[in-house]
Amino acid sequence: MNFKIKNQRLIFALICLILGGAITCWTYFSTNIYHKEDIAVIMPDKFEDRLIHKDTDIYQNKDQTRQQTFYIKMLSGKHKGRVYKVINHYYPSQLTTQKYRIHNRVLAKISKNKAVVLSPKRDWIPIMVLTITLSLMIILAGKHTIALLISMILSWAIFFGLMFWDLKTNSNLSILIYGLADIIFSFICLIIVQGYNKKMLVTWLATLIGIFSSFILCYLIMQLTGNTQMRYDTSDFITQDPQGIFLAQTLLGILGAVLDEATDIVSSLHELIIHKPNITKQELINSGRNMGKEITGPLINVLLLIFIASALPETILYLRDNAGLGNTFNYTLAIGLTQSVISGIGIVLTVVSATGASLLFLKQKDRS
Amino acid sequence: MNTLLVLTITLAILMTVISGETGLRSFFSIIINVVLLIFVAMLISWGLNIPVITLIFVPLKLATIIFAGTENKTVGKNAFLSSLLVCLVLISLIFVCQYFAQAAGMGLEVNDVLMGQSQQPGIDYSLIAITVAIFSTLGAIAEAAVSITAGLVEIKNSKPTITKEELIQSGTNIGKDIIGTSMNTILFGLFGSVLSLILWFYPLNYSWGEILNDKLVINELLIMMYSLIGVLLIIPLATHFLAHTLTKK
Repeated sequence: MNFKIKNQRLIFALICLILGGAITCWTYFSTNIYHKEDIAVIMPDKFEDRLIHKDTDIYQNKDQTRQQTFYIKMLSGKHKGRVYKVINHYYPSQLTTQKYRIHNRVLAKISKNKAVVLSPKRDWIPIMVLTITLSLMIILAGKHTIALLISMILSWAIFFGLMFWDLKTNSNLSILIYGLADIIFSFICLIIVQGYNKKMLVTWLATLIGIFSSFILCYLIMQLTGNTQMRYDTSDFITQDPQGIFLAQTLLGILGAVLDEATDIVSSLHELIIHKPNITKQELINSGRNMGKEITGPLINVLLLIFIASALPETILYLRDNAGLGNTFNYTLAIGLTQSVISGIGIVLTVVSATGASLLFLKQKDRS
Repeated sequence: MNTLLVLTITLAILMTVISGETGLRSFFSIIINVVLLIFVAMLISWGLNIPVITLIFVPLKLATIIFAGTENKTVGKNAFLSSLLVCLVLISLIFVCQYFAQAAGMGLEVNDVLMGQSQQPGIDYSLIAITVAIFSTLGAIAEAAVSITAGLVEIKNSKPTITKEELIQSGTNIGKDIIGTSMNTILFGLFGSVLSLILWFYPLNYSWGEILNDKLVINELLIMMYSLIGVLLIIPLATHFLAHTLTKK
């Protein structure tokens, strides 16, 4: 029986792999996905890559300026089949410039008989990796993959829907919209996993209390300390209301972690109450705390790494340019770190809200 | 006073009050993790070999996350070894994918930051892109490793006579839940880190072609899936690993 299920999973995983592989190839070779850009391919002959000059910048960093000369053949659009010469300058460090390779498929535009290469065609790579992810998921989670996939697609759909609403209102209501997003997202996620019942409602309540109490606490702290050294204007926040977007981003980023944690704690305490109806309040509180102890640290670290690892390229650049450690920290890491710390406070407070909610609602039910 | 400092102190106090000594240790693991990342940035900025530094710091960061949060030695050791193995597998995958993605460096959205900064830092940013991808996945892998290992050790403790096969079966069952919850954490964490990026794109009237081939978008999507693959791989590996060591005695 077990063997049969395993075989079935392998077959489905194989189907997924073949199907995904086919879609990946189609995306790679197809030339008419986009309306505005044309697809071209870099020809292997007469490809040149030569050193123009060696540079040393004011910070004593040694780099080069190189020039690539190559021919691209248009694969779509009005100029299909024609060949154009392209000159591309790049620095080997590739901070803001792009190096191209032979046989690269690229997005290109033709204007006044000159070809401009916009970027390498990268769209097929996420599809390839998604194929691998889904195949693995089928092998490991079996039928459960469908539920996981539905919840993932739903999350993306709601996320984009909300974002368009946010953009339509010029980001004036950001905090409100993403606060609402938290309420809707958590409800849907919980209903998919647990179905509609009292335990699910308790988990939902615990999640919302955890998120919003930490949000209010952090908002107060930020106002009281006058937002000192919060440089919202750095990096990613060049919009009208940087603080609003930062807070909205934090509200959204924390939800998954808090949801998991609340689910874990409430479900386990629920089990405990069922198996041991005469359990005391103190014992329940202790169990909740014990579980919280184990979960909080690793969860905060997950978010921390997601939020600050992406600041690494900038951090290195600043240090490279002798910006000093303090300045570098303020300009590159502080925002991500603040987001992580606020998330951390939410994750810790959820231990309390999840234990408290289970105590109040689940325990009472068993008594009556 | 400095906002970040006050928030950090608040976090430290809350963690200590609610989770006691373990909470305080977890708090320090977070601080150490940040310090390690700054250290990596410094070493790379001095021009040291990027792959070597990355390979040295992966186990250090994993150890910080795993050992600080768990009191049980069996859990810690097994979780560490299995997540290290998964990381090595994942690193090869990331290496191959990033080679094809050609998505090094920073996007145009940081142009304001770059003003006054060198555009020619003389460091290979395609290698740094790989380091970023690897570090971003470490947290999710370590968390999943601890969850599954702790769960199985718990089962073994409550039923010491359990066989290897039964333990593996339990691992598969717990694993399903862990995949679901980790997916949520990763997905929303990603939403929280790309929101400003997408909001930034919109007023510029980027076309679909530009967005779907943009290096920042591609990198974020890839990082999400690398993390998921890491979580998916850690579950069978940690389960078999632990089932083997626990039933050997």
